[in-house]
Amino acid sequence: MEEFKVPRHLLTRRRLLQLSGVSSMGLLLSSCGTGLLSESVGKLTEPLNLKVGELLLKPQTPVPEFPISAIEPNALLVNSFNGTPQIDTDKFRLIIDGEVNQPMQLSMADIQKLPFTSMVIRHVCVEGWAAIVQWGGVRLSDLIKLAQPKSQVRYAYFESADTYYESWDIASTLHPQTLLAYQKNGQSLSPENGAPLRLASPIKLGYKQSKWVTRVTLTSTLSSRKGYWIDEGYEWFGGI
Amino acid sequence: MAASKAGKRSKPPAGPKQELAAKIFHGLNIISLIVMIGSGLQIYNANPVFGGRGAWTFPRTFLLGGWLGGGRNWHFAAMWLFALNLLVYGVYIFWTRRWEKRFVSQGDLQVLQKGQNPKRKNYAWHRLIYTGIVPVLILAIISGLAMYKPAQLPWLSGLFGNWQTLRVIHFITVPIVIIFVIGHFLLSQKVGGYRLIKSMFT
Repeated sequence: MEEFKVPRHLLTRRRLLQLSGVSSMGLLLSSCGTGLLSESVGKLTEPLNLKVGELLLKPQTPVPEFPISAIEPNALLVNSFNGTPQIDTDKFRLIIDGEVNQPMQLSMADIQKLPFTSMVIRHVCVEGWAAIVQWGGVRLSDLIKLAQPKSQVRYAYFESADTYYESWDIASTLHPQTLLAYQKNGQSLSPENGAPLRLASPIKLGYKQSKWVTRVTLTSTLSSRKGYWIDEGYEWFGGI
Repeated sequence: MAASKAGKRSKPPAGPKQELAAKIFHGLNIISLIVMIGSGLQIYNANPVFGGRGAWTFPRTFLLGGWLGGGRNWHFAAMWLFALNLLVYGVYIFWTRRWEKRFVSQGDLQVLQKGQNPKRKNYAWHRLIYTGIVPVLILAIISGLAMYKPAQLPWLSGLFGNWQTLRVIHFITVPIVIIFVIGHFLLSQKVGGYRLIKSMFT
């Protein structure tokens, strides 16, 4: 009897260990088929993450900037979902429309007449890398003021020449360091970095900072199309 | 379970006992750490901390989420469980003064230096190691937060120097935790054997 009892005891112990091993292995192995589950997990806590992101955001307070000597020219990698579009800068027009009293169409010459802002900030990519970059351009809030948004406006949609689309909360849009940039590291913006005009801001992840922006639409509602990568599963707020 | 066992044996064996709060913390900590590590390695692979684009990445077996977006969803969901679990447990051990009784003490350190009794030494090592992992878990949260909100918490990110240092520090908590788990398991075997492990899981 004694000899019989001991292995039985060992078996249960082994089974316990096996079960814990199998369950954690299952979790690890499931990486191939977790698309749907990952999405539901994201939906479960994204509202909470969004609330915390908004709570931490100091809408009109500038993020501390870096000295020019801190710029990392080689650290900024190029990401785009569909290559670099061909844009004729002379024919380029930026449209600002939506729920505004004064819809506008601006040429690059019009935009470059507006007050110039330069900043040295950290660009953080969703992939985990970061680069300290100087961006120069016009404050988006200055452009929006010209268009006279209606009081109910809560979001801004950005359309790009390469069909990329993105939407932002209005507080981040009007942040003093949210620029439509036409300069990078002291030089004219290059096509692969978004010329003639791109979003640049220290308070959002890279995928929020659309390149080749052609249209800013101010709106009071968010449609089911929130942004190219957001619709693929990245979080909408994307604040850092 | 407990009732049927008590019925079978008139005298239950005197084994180690764990507080329910300790068991809950321990269980949730294991689950959240597995999710945090699996999804964290998925995020790592998007742009490896060591070498960047094109460098060696972790095999799919160890990943959770399927792609970067899925990995982030898991990581930012499990961070709530991981961090709140640690916070509640932290409040609990200070509130009940369990910190003074169950974690490494001056006495343990003396045993490690001068002790002759190998059993007592193992016990001291065991307590030293499981106490030592607590600051590592806190470091994982702090370095993660510094990377998650560097613009809104610039003072926190600033503590870590540059971005690469911050990434390395956050990543390094993974091998530390894995080595800890192995050491913690082996020492718990030496100190209390299967009965000690069972006391934590049942």
